[in-house]
Amino acid sequence: MCPTEVHPQLALYGSCTLDHDGCVTCGDLAIPVLVKEIQGNEALCEDRYGQQISVVLDFVDNVRPGDILLVHLGIALARIQGG
Amino acid sequence: MRYVDELRDPRLIRAVAAEIARLTNPDRHYRIMEVCGGHTHAIYRHGLVELLPPNLELVHGPGCPVCVLPMGRIDDGLALAEQPHVIFTAFGDMMRVPGRRGTPLEYRARGADIRMVYSPLDALKLAQTHPDKQVVFFAIGFETTAPSTALTLLKAKALGIRNFSVFCNHVLIVPAIRAILDSPDMRLDGFIGPGHVSTVIGCRPYLFVARDYGKPLVVSGFEPLDILQSILMILRQMAEGRAEVENQYSRVVPWNGNRAALAAMAEVFELRPYFEWRGLGFISQSALKISEAYADWDAERRFEIPGVRVTDPKAAQCGEVLKGVLKPPQCKLFGRECTPEHPIGALMVSNEGACAAYYHYVHRLTVAGRSE
Repeated sequence: MCPTEVHPQLALYGSCTLDHDGCVTCGDLAIPVLVKEIQGNEALCEDRYGQQISVVLDFVDNVRPGDILLVHLGIALARIQGG
Repeated sequence: MRYVDELRDPRLIRAVAAEIARLTNPDRHYRIMEVCGGHTHAIYRHGLVELLPPNLELVHGPGCPVCVLPMGRIDDGLALAEQPHVIFTAFGDMMRVPGRRGTPLEYRARGADIRMVYSPLDALKLAQTHPDKQVVFFAIGFETTAPSTALTLLKAKALGIRNFSVFCNHVLIVPAIRAILDSPDMRLDGFIGPGHVSTVIGCRPYLFVARDYGKPLVVSGFEPLDILQSILMILRQMAEGRAEVENQYSRVVPWNGNRAALAAMAEVFELRPYFEWRGLGFISQSALKISEAYADWDAERRFEIPGVRVTDPKAAQCGEVLKGVLKPPQCKLFGRECTPEHPIGALMVSNEGACAAYYHYVHRLTVAGRSE
């Protein structure tokens, strides 16, 4: 059975999910996630299917709940512009 | 656009494909390189080649770090893994990449302490929980992966974790593009630029492609419509006599990249004077090494590295495929001796390799179609 998409809009920023994150050494396949909660220097985020991950925020400033981040290896690399 | 369905809308896709056909001159051949392995996969997965005019050829680039890493570097890493008191850590993707005496998985079966990690930060945690061991991280990847190694080194230094080091094999995409442009047997009309690498480096590093070589480069997303639109943008530039760097993926890629990630990389890395790329040979200033300030965390300084050089099997034509001179099935070994189950060349080992992509999405279907 296909899992239910909780945040379908995330697929607009790449097809990877936490379970299917492509080839990590390539890294040109980062995972789009939605920020649910800020916890110090990390953010609790969800991928398209609602799976959760804690993301390190050293490289992206002023992250807020509702932001969409592009994550690689558990580290946020970009905030989606106007996402 | 709010949902991905719009990026896969058949009506829109047909309209862009028609515009591509309109802009191509039937009397000439077009060659456009997609630099990134992720694009190669998307092109095959969505059957985009079928939508393009036959005289427009997509050439697969060197955008897979596993594929371009010479076997000697894997042997060097595995020599570290065999040292006593070493925990050798690597990404899962590296586990079945063969050195001369087997893959990391096979070394592990023979007793080496090799562990799979999701992130270099996990390797650093291992060092904290195993103070009696030396933890080495096999760092590999382009500019998307290098920031995570940089952040890990910053944290290792800040926390004073001394039993951790990095065997650095990070490579840079821009010198590879330049090497391809300088290659005498390579004639390209334009480039589909990497999407997520560009979130880190931005679009500016590609400006030389347009300025010095007169070729258009369009940074592209990964959905079918993204890739087709990028091809259309390249063709429009050609039709209008322009050569520019354009950003089709502006919903993700900032023009100036990620300054914090670039600053971290500048702190912990230096350019290597040269580095060997499988298939492309030695390219100057094309890879990163650990900087002097972080020398204490550099596995190449902490341990003796054999410095192995291994020539690729002569029959495998990985180099020609990597440079886009040959298509995967034109290699003599493709689909016969060299398959994803028994890879001989690097392009078949990694999922992102052009040969693996072609095998999964085109070759298997063709063979299945024939046997029906």
